[in-house]
Amino acid sequence: MAASCHDVDPVPGKPTETGTSLLETATGAIQGFAPVNQIHQHLCAFHFYGDDMTRQVEAHHFCAHLTEDVRQCLIFDGPDAVARLIGLEYIVTEELFLTLPDDEKPLWHTHEFEVKGGVLFMPGVPGVVERRDLETVAKTYGKTIHFWQVDRGDALPLGLPQIMMALTRDGQLRQDLAECVEKKFGVSFQKERENRAYMTGPAHGIHPLANAAGKGLKTSIREVDLPDPTTRARVFT
Amino acid sequence: MASSDKKPLPTPASTGGDGGPPGKPTTMSTMMLDKGAAALQSLRPVKQINQHVCTFALYAHDPHRQLTSPRSYLHRIIGVEYIVSRKIFEALPKEEQRLWHSHAHEIRAGLWASPRVPEMLEKTELDHMAGTFGKFWCTWQVDRGDRLPLGAPALMVSPQAERIATVLPDLVRKRDQKYGFSTEELKAARADVDVPADPRPGQADYWVRHHKGFALDVVPHEMKRHAPFP
Repeated sequence: MAASCHDVDPVPGKPTETGTSLLETATGAIQGFAPVNQIHQHLCAFHFYGDDMTRQVEAHHFCAHLTEDVRQCLIFDGPDAVARLIGLEYIVTEELFLTLPDDEKPLWHTHEFEVKGGVLFMPGVPGVVERRDLETVAKTYGKTIHFWQVDRGDALPLGLPQIMMALTRDGQLRQDLAECVEKKFGVSFQKERENRAYMTGPAHGIHPLANAAGKGLKTSIREVDLPDPTTRARVFT
Repeated sequence: MASSDKKPLPTPASTGGDGGPPGKPTTMSTMMLDKGAAALQSLRPVKQINQHVCTFALYAHDPHRQLTSPRSYLHRIIGVEYIVSRKIFEALPKEEQRLWHSHAHEIRAGLWASPRVPEMLEKTELDHMAGTFGKFWCTWQVDRGDRLPLGAPALMVSPQAERIATVLPDLVRKRDQKYGFSTEELKAARADVDVPADPRPGQADYWVRHHKGFALDVVPHEMKRHAPFP
């Protein structure tokens, strides 16, 4: 299976040495990995940049429940062992999304279209099974941050974190990317769309402030003066 | 819209409760659904994760605010760190290097530790790690009590010898108690760890040398588009 539908320069550096692999096998056996062991679900979807819909990324989410209403996902650029960790996504129910401050809401996106549109799927899981969870996902909101711009061929995670957005209507998803993913995973978005026609999105409809408030956003960095080192340190515990 | 150095407005997402993420505990039926799916999926990228390291990080816009990572029993993903060799770091553009921090000090100082890994196993790794550089973005500011991941991502930096970059003794003490080891003892044991002659090549640890922090903003910006949105 092709690793990625993007053209990316190989990650620099020598291949992982046997000594390193052995060491990590040892640590892997000795240490506890509770947070990582909570990850039980693989979802494939598409993200685009908050300031550029034309730049789109095939995003493999590996997700865990923190509570019934909050999930967290590691995002990789492929499903295989050499996939790059490119970002994170947090997913919350509509009820929790509504508790967010108004200036936070634009950083979150809706999942209704990509679920109902059939383009978000769980590789390897039969439709009947995946639909049981996707019914819930269709009503949720997500906050996605990417650190590694693989779609522009970066060999390393350069630059600033990017707040990503999700598909909200037909015509947005690039056909070349869609076809590559459908072929790679043997799925049909159209067929799934028909199977998911019964699903519904958030009970209160899509919030107008979500999805970059319907406009767009980007991240920028600034230098700041550091607090006086003699100031008493604040400790939040 | 959001800045990494601005405290969010008080809402249930930023304050209140027991500090844990909101929501009912994960139900049995959700767990069964997850396990069912997991049995059918390979989760290969996640299975590559095979090392657990505990250390400390400081916010690049306010180094007095500090995190022990990983944090507590709640297992929240609070950010991502990438680690590269010196050779790769030195090839990065200058602007990019400013976002990266060195590891030599925190390793020598015993702050960087592998919970539960015997000292001997760790030594091989330490010499190597002391020459690496990291880039760490924090996406959930748990130390200020956020119940959900709010705001812009924050750049994190590593502990250094300079006063402004020192880890609060209280945090170290708590970490030691939690994992049952002594940072002081680790420091003594690491006196012979190989530290590069020039531990700060290029623009590494820019913030400490120039006494300037970095804050991130998320701002409204026209979205380039080829189809209507939203």
